[in-house]
Amino acid sequence: MLARLKRTGALWLLLLPMLLWIGLLFVLPHIKLFLLSFQDRYTGAFTLKNYATFFTSPLYRGVFIHTVEYSILTTLVTLAIAFPAAFVVTKVLSERAKALVVIAIILPYWVSELIQAFTWMVIFRETGILSYTLRALGITRHNIEFLYHNWTVMVGLVYTSLLFMVIPILNSLETLDDSLIEASYDLGGDFWSTMKEIIIPHSMPGIMVGSIMVFMLVLGNYVTVTLLGGKNSLWFTENIYNQFIVRFNQNQGAAFSVILLTFSVLFVWALLKITKQDLSEAM
Amino acid sequence: MAQEIDVSLVNVTKKFGDLVAVDNVSFDVPKGSFFSLLGPSGSGKTTILRMIAGFEVPTSGDIYIGGQRVNDVPPNKRPCNMVFQRLALFPMMNVLDNVMYGLRRRGGMSKKEMERLANDALARVGLAGLGKRRIHQLSGGQQQRVALARSLVLDPTVLLLDEPLASLDLKLRQAMKLELKRLQERLGTTFIYITHDQTVAIAMSDTIAVINKGRIEQIASPEELYRRPATHFVASFVGENNILTEGRLVRQVDDQVGEVEMGGILMQGRIGEPMKPGDKVDLFVRPEMILLQPGKHSPGILGKVSEINFDGSHSLIVVDLLESQRPLSINVKVQHTEQAPEVHVGDVVTLSWNWGAGNIFHHVPLQEA
Repeated sequence: MLARLKRTGALWLLLLPMLLWIGLLFVLPHIKLFLLSFQDRYTGAFTLKNYATFFTSPLYRGVFIHTVEYSILTTLVTLAIAFPAAFVVTKVLSERAKALVVIAIILPYWVSELIQAFTWMVIFRETGILSYTLRALGITRHNIEFLYHNWTVMVGLVYTSLLFMVIPILNSLETLDDSLIEASYDLGGDFWSTMKEIIIPHSMPGIMVGSIMVFMLVLGNYVTVTLLGGKNSLWFTENIYNQFIVRFNQNQGAAFSVILLTFSVLFVWALLKITKQDLSEAM
Repeated sequence: MAQEIDVSLVNVTKKFGDLVAVDNVSFDVPKGSFFSLLGPSGSGKTTILRMIAGFEVPTSGDIYIGGQRVNDVPPNKRPCNMVFQRLALFPMMNVLDNVMYGLRRRGGMSKKEMERLANDALARVGLAGLGKRRIHQLSGGQQQRVALARSLVLDPTVLLLDEPLASLDLKLRQAMKLELKRLQERLGTTFIYITHDQTVAIAMSDTIAVINKGRIEQIASPEELYRRPATHFVASFVGENNILTEGRLVRQVDDQVGEVEMGGILMQGRIGEPMKPGDKVDLFVRPEMILLQPGKHSPGILGKVSEINFDGSHSLIVVDLLESQRPLSINVKVQHTEQAPEVHVGDVVTLSWNWGAGNIFHHVPLQEA
């Protein structure tokens, strides 16, 4: 049956809905975005002005660098939390406990990112749970505003990203034969050398997939950043939003979008090159 | 003490919850010997090996390696190395790095020196020049050798082998069997080998410990084990055997020889364990130690050939006993020599054997055996 479908090209019909989806909702808008970014706001003539604005303005550049720095930092923090958790889940816990922990990790994602962010606001705001608890314990005398700090934003971002880091690492550790770990010990290895030489190299594809996904999600995040970081969150997506929605400068917004997209693609590509991972292999 | 002992287990017991995996096991492994733990799967042999390696801690009892009590020594500090059943080679490294892994962990050696030792070890197992290959580029037999080299390069007091030949095909297994034995003799390293395959154990070992249900049934040389099994289990597990069940011990001819009544026929065999006349017994007879003569002879047991299975160098002949009160048949292995008797299905033949070819034990119901 498959052969006949292949011959008649009917197999392509199965792909059609997805191709339409991607073509109409992703490729076409991005082509439009790309064209807009090279047009003058008023005349529509070809111009590089929109890009020049970015490269000459210390403010936009600064925000961009800040965004990239914090995205990298968030990815690393997420990795630092997710890897030990995934290791314990796969190699230490019993089957039953494993299922419970995995459910506990997945459960928070049953509510949307928006609700998650609101929950953090309930905890972190000046009259929130954290502030109240500190005061009740007598540690502080006044209410403290925990919102609108870089680290608050990061807590929220790590939280929304955790699952996307844990699951790929979990999968890669599942395929690690326990006897490799035993063999390492048997040959004189200790915990750290076994980690460095056997476990981390084996789970590298999972680490890469997780890191790429988290980095992309964080770099392009808007909801968590705006709600927890406020007006001063200095996230690049906010600049794009402002250009499109506040200033009605679609062309400038388009240029910013293209810059962000190009940068993320190059960054991921470079990362894969440096760590000698193959994208098809890693995915 | 005549021999130096490399590994010694003293009253070792291991429980997993309520399950007693290893039950009060004691044995000594002399230095430089090839010692096998032979038993069916689930007999506890793997647990014993893992306790020697340090991956499991005995519930009670002591383990000594080279005279040192090692109960509290972690696996990475024990002077023994293990060749894992699934080999557990590191796929992220090439062959040379695999072999150098243990040396690098040990440290105190230049990279050049480590490479020299690793290459030496590879040459010893016949893999010279393959150091730069990736693991998945090697055949099953070559991977086996890498696993050996990776352990041997550390010059362990004891090498533990967890059925590493089980995954190989028959031809390769036969070849590796001989090679492993020669390697052990050349190196003089103590090998502890676990297997469920009695042909492997018999071919390679100096000493075999037969394990069943967490207990040791017998520790002996392969020949002793084959000729004079100590228990019902050993007799049925090691080598091919005719098992004639539910007979009765008629009399004890002397200390060693007993006479058994089996379906009305009298047969002789070695008395395998203390018993008295009238006891219900099973008789084991090795098929290749039975003399088969065409026609009627006396003394002897009369039978009719019901089946002949040609197997190259020999034939397995199934003989139904004619004078038995219940259906009994005995398999006889006949070598194809010049003097081999020529028989056909339906021929009347006479069977006889020396008492030493038979072994008598108390009857054990089949499901418990």
